[in-house]
Amino acid sequence: MKKNVTLQVNGRMYPLEIDVKDLLLQTIREQIGLTGTKEGCGTGECGACTVLIDGEPVNACLYFTVRAEGKDILTIEGMRNGAMLHPLQEAFATTAALQCGFCGPGVLLSAKALLDRHPNPTEQQIREGIAGNICRCTGYTKMVEAIQTAAVMLREDEVRS
Amino acid sequence: MLLESFDYLKPQSLTEALEVLDQLKDEQVRVLAGGTDLIPRLRSQAEHVRYVVDLAACGLDQVTFHDDHASIGALTTFATLCRTRGIQEHFPAIIEASAQIGAVQCRTLATIGGNLCSAVPSLDSAPALLVLDAQFCLQAKHGERLVRAEEFFLAPRRTILEPGEIMTHILVPMREDFSASFLRIGRRKALTLAIVNAAAGVTIGDDGSITEVRVALGAVAPTPIRAHKAEHILHGRKITQELIAEAADVAVTETAPISDLRASADYRRKITAVLVRRALGNAIAQSIRVGR
Repeated sequence: MKKNVTLQVNGRMYPLEIDVKDLLLQTIREQIGLTGTKEGCGTGECGACTVLIDGEPVNACLYFTVRAEGKDILTIEGMRNGAMLHPLQEAFATTAALQCGFCGPGVLLSAKALLDRHPNPTEQQIREGIAGNICRCTGYTKMVEAIQTAAVMLREDEVRS
Repeated sequence: MLLESFDYLKPQSLTEALEVLDQLKDEQVRVLAGGTDLIPRLRSQAEHVRYVVDLAACGLDQVTFHDDHASIGALTTFATLCRTRGIQEHFPAIIEASAQIGAVQCRTLATIGGNLCSAVPSLDSAPALLVLDAQFCLQAKHGERLVRAEEFFLAPRRTILEPGEIMTHILVPMREDFSASFLRIGRRKALTLAIVNAAAGVTIGDDGSITEVRVALGAVAPTPIRAHKAEHILHGRKITQELIAEAADVAVTETAPISDLRASADYRRKITAVLVRRALGNAIAQSIRVGR
């Protein structure tokens, strides 16, 4: 069953013809062409396909595209501000918090959702915030450090502005 | 493409949804709440559907508080429940369950009604609701019925819901004198089904005896269950370590666990006793703390 929808992804509008059985993950990768969102397990267990919908982290493999109309979708491609990396991206790079990088887009978006809600999270809150993202390389320690660093950067930005 | 084709319907009100579901009663139809259970099942072809009826626009995602009960819309997500102040204040056991389901991404989407209607034996929202003596409001075009949580589950993935009928609300009695607690054990802290989950709730009388008690268990029987024999042992007695240990051992005899990839039946029995002890301990501690 086909349907015309307009999706808002990273602030840009995309008019699309979709099938009602399409999952947001497919639409983002295959129709819109943004391949930063990864497919891991396809059953909502690994977090590689995490995107933010109206600011909340969601597994794009568990979400019918047809439900995304009228919502604000953020993928990893929309995380930086122009040429400026988001402080989380900056901190992940300088901390070397990623190795193979496959889980990275999902982890970064989960971390962004966490910091948007809790600007000064405890380590426990950070670990819970990224508990839905499986990383097989890092052991998470450096990710937690990077998120702590980014939280400080973001709070300082807040004070300056 | 990944999924088999289906028709998608999105009724704009509960009345319309019940009408649509009544018309499709004899079809392969599934209602869509959060989708976190349905989509993987469609994807693995564990289920085949001709129609998906999306309940998102039916206004079933509100939590309201009344004199003697709270009403939780069946489409309330676990993320919303965790952030609802009244739930935090009155029903810590519901928070303890909601906060441990899946992980953040899943809780954004997954709904309490969807969780209950999936009727998997390990579902985390059931034990707390069984202990809190919740009732489920089920509606179809031709009527509405209230059922006790305990009557709802029939078998793995089977409930008493009739074709054309949906769960609309969960009604939870608000009781100042009753304290409940939920616990689970899984292979990991997130993103895993419970090996065993348990809830316990108590009212403690002025003389320190247990005047009301309920114990519920999940993942140790074909459906979530009440441990009635364990409750019977506790009822009217003074709290001691020995009494709680005895009740926990009796609760184990009320289970019928299976061995599967998550744990052996034997391990489940051992963990059942541990969780019943801890859940009772937590509920009692909570009761004493708030001076109930």
